[in-house]
Amino acid sequence: MEIHRKRRRGSGIWPYLLLAPALIIMLSVVIVPIINAISMSFQSYNLTRPKKIGFIGLDNYAKLINDSLFWKSLLRTLIWVFFGVGCQFVFGFMLALLLNKSFKGRGVVRAVSLIPWVTPGVLIALMWSWMFDGNYGVINDVLLRLHIISDKVAFLAKPASAMPSVIITIVWQGIPFFALMILAGLQGIPGDLYEAADIDGATGLKKLFYVTIPSLRNTIFVTTMLRIIWVANSVDVIFNMTEGGPAYATQTLSVYVYKKASSLDMGYASAMAIMLMLVLLVAAIPYLHNTFRDQEG
Amino acid sequence: MCATMVSAALAEETTIKFWFWADNDAYAQTMQEMIADFNATNGKGITVVGEQYPWDGGGYSGNLLTAAIGGGGPDVATFKLTATPSFVGNDLLTPLDEYINNWEDKDQINENLYNTMRTAGGEDAIYVMPWNTQVLYVYYRPSMFEAAGVTVPTTYEEFLDVCAKLTRDTDGDGKTDVYGFGMRGSNGGQEPWGCFLYAGGGDWEHLDSEGGIKGMQDYIDLYTNGYAPETAPNDGFAQVIDNFKSGLTAMTIHHIGSSAQMMELFGDDVAAFVFPAGEGQWTSMGDTETVMFESCANKEAAFEWMAYLATGKGQETWCTVTGNVPVAARVQELEQFQSNPFMKVSIEGSPVAGILPVLDTTTEWISNWPSVIQQALLGQITAEECMKTLQETLWAE
Amino acid sequence: MKKNHSIGEKKTARIFLLWIPLILFLLFLLFPFYWTFVTSIKPAEELHSLKVIYWPQHPTLDSYKHLFNQFNFLHPMKNSLIVAAITTLVSLTVSTLAAYAFSRFRFAGRKPLMVLFLTNNMFPTVLLLIPLFTIMRKLGLLYKPTSLVLSYTTFTIPFSVWLLSGYLNDLPLSMEEAAMIDGADRAKAFVRIVLPVLLPCLLATGVYIFMQSWNEYTFAVLFTNENSRTIPVALKMLVGQLGVQWDLITAGGIITVIPVCIMFFFAQKRLVAGLTAGAVKG
Repeated sequence: MEIHRKRRRGSGIWPYLLLAPALIIMLSVVIVPIINAISMSFQSYNLTRPKKIGFIGLDNYAKLINDSLFWKSLLRTLIWVFFGVGCQFVFGFMLALLLNKSFKGRGVVRAVSLIPWVTPGVLIALMWSWMFDGNYGVINDVLLRLHIISDKVAFLAKPASAMPSVIITIVWQGIPFFALMILAGLQGIPGDLYEAADIDGATGLKKLFYVTIPSLRNTIFVTTMLRIIWVANSVDVIFNMTEGGPAYATQTLSVYVYKKASSLDMGYASAMAIMLMLVLLVAAIPYLHNTFRDQEG
Repeated sequence: MCATMVSAALAEETTIKFWFWADNDAYAQTMQEMIADFNATNGKGITVVGEQYPWDGGGYSGNLLTAAIGGGGPDVATFKLTATPSFVGNDLLTPLDEYINNWEDKDQINENLYNTMRTAGGEDAIYVMPWNTQVLYVYYRPSMFEAAGVTVPTTYEEFLDVCAKLTRDTDGDGKTDVYGFGMRGSNGGQEPWGCFLYAGGGDWEHLDSEGGIKGMQDYIDLYTNGYAPETAPNDGFAQVIDNFKSGLTAMTIHHIGSSAQMMELFGDDVAAFVFPAGEGQWTSMGDTETVMFESCANKEAAFEWMAYLATGKGQETWCTVTGNVPVAARVQELEQFQSNPFMKVSIEGSPVAGILPVLDTTTEWISNWPSVIQQALLGQITAEECMKTLQETLWAE
Repeated sequence: MKKNHSIGEKKTARIFLLWIPLILFLLFLLFPFYWTFVTSIKPAEELHSLKVIYWPQHPTLDSYKHLFNQFNFLHPMKNSLIVAAITTLVSLTVSTLAAYAFSRFRFAGRKPLMVLFLTNNMFPTVLLLIPLFTIMRKLGLLYKPTSLVLSYTTFTIPFSVWLLSGYLNDLPLSMEEAAMIDGADRAKAFVRIVLPVLLPCLLATGVYIFMQSWNEYTFAVLFTNENSRTIPVALKMLVGQLGVQWDLITAGGIITVIPVCIMFFFAQKRLVAGLTAGAVKG
């Protein structure tokens, strides 16, 4: 109760003043483009046929409902996000716990653990598709030497292995993000909580579930939610590794939107992008609910 | 009086903003040197400012369009013909007919080439200035031909047969070490694939004809019979060339642009032939042009620069360095081009070289091409279904 | 700690719970980097080989020399550094203020505003490019670093606001209250109590913002010219129609990664517990 009283006190104009700079910078730049994009979704807006641009009501949305590729891409987005973010989170969390222990050379290990995230996006897809290459890729070579496979696998050319391959790549890139964010959150957990747990005789695993995770609750919610949005929207890894192929096997919705927009069918691309946004908002509801409920008490 | 006015007008400084892409950093360097040469020698106070943009797998055209629609495009830019409809449709390009007709070097460029440019712009005008072309042909490794006991195929049937015979297990471990044909199943693969389409008996207007379907079936068979690397569905340009360079494939289709690096690597052990005739014969004419934007303030000056690239010193320098086929007759006749064996094959292929129909559906069709072909290669759809889809999407509306 | 652990047991536990997992992680995270490096020092004839070469027979630094001499790679590096540093500074400042408002105040419109911040990043940038380009041109910012800073902050601010309010919500309020009961006003309590505790989180968020702006390509290619090019655009120039210039692009990647790692090595010293404990006890 005390907490809530404090939180409410002194509202008035202050919160708005504090928010103003962020809002102004953000909205001044994107408000017009976003309104423009929303309006394009109600138009036949293909830049290769500029003479035919005009409002067509919900036609783009109707077309999208009957587009089996749209639904398949949406399904692949779910797979891509679930495994991509899921693995990033689990491994990122583990890495954060490891990097929070004290050991010799920790600073260096922390710094180099960040490398995947620092690597320019342009290079990530290039390097990984080279490593996954079915003819002279190093991954094939290693697996052959370890006798895990007996024949080279064309990872990116087979529908069954293409999706796992791109997911491994995005997981690789995203682990440092979670590791860093959670590592930072760990520093905010008051030491006396652990001391109290020690006195109660809690083991490492118990401390993890009863102290660490509850204390990081909001951090975990926010980071996974933001990462879901980021990964769902990311295009460059998939596009540069497989272009959504082979035979659409890795075509997520954002890749589909990107391809449509690149072939200048802006109207249809916008309609799909708005659907993706709605799906993401629905996915965010549990997170929002948690964030808001938790704070309102 | 008149003379002083002219020189006063010419002495006025004009700046031409020029966008280009370069396929490697040495070419970019060459372009900047050409610009410096033009600026120093044009004598009309024209200063070209060259700005390099990444090719980005074709993303270049999209960026150029965004900038031009957004009002911040260049005056002149290097260009790909397939992008013409969207630029012309948005009234971004300057019609060049008037400039070309009054141009002393007009006849240096073959009339056919102008016609191709005119067709791409929708017949009413020439919006695109020829600069250089590349004709697709088949690269092969003579040593591998010798080892497999085959000779250069003269018919399409022989070609398919050679693909099979060149596919070999060289070390006796039961696995294929050399593949007959380096197939491009990903981005940009429609160009070499067009050779099969025509050889089978189809054409761009009738993709789903019996002949077109046969060509597609042959393409699928090459893959499923194991005469092309298993990676083919995901192989784009870089992979196809890397496969050939590493000796994994015995033949692959590309143009003269890569001949320099091939010769550097293989010396004499690389040669080329024109894709042989079957029912029909066709090969893709790759192209690079320049365009002038409607927003350009000094169009005469811009045309000077485009002319320098098309028939002037720029033509010679650029084609010499990059190995592309010159469009200017005067440059084509130069000794260095006449004696180049790959240039010879390019010129030999010219009569059957063409471009994809440039329609407002073309951009999207090209971007969809890999997905459709991959489905066929992977056995998810038949050759007939594949060709039907391709026909319907290219000739929609 | 339980007292009955022998030293030997502790050592084994440390091997299995720390060193083995850590080494596995490092193998996975660093192998591609190693591979990038090996590629960058391979001479041309070893680059295109059917045999996988784990260490070149004739390593060469030619690609690095070429990159710095002919390619002038330092220039885009400098541009990237300027853009990333300013973006980080601006985003972090305004985001901290906004996050504090979201976390510590209850006010009308709070929830819709938070959702607005979230949806901002749900929209694919390809669809915003043309109008954004027009805006930048009209503002006269085209080809200046400011255009990139402005576009990047647009996308890093909402993200950072959410991140920081997540962290702030996890921080116990008791400390601030204690200070405020002692007579400090809100601003003082924030600077003296919250800020030091929030430092690791600010650092992590700062690193996030820095990376986003350091690696961004889509805006960078359109809003820069020869003079203001950033690293991703410069690297992309090395992938032409004739294939990838592997030696140069990998060398460029290595050079890009190293300074950021060094910077982080020094910064991570702030990522330590104890600040909180001290503050609470103090």
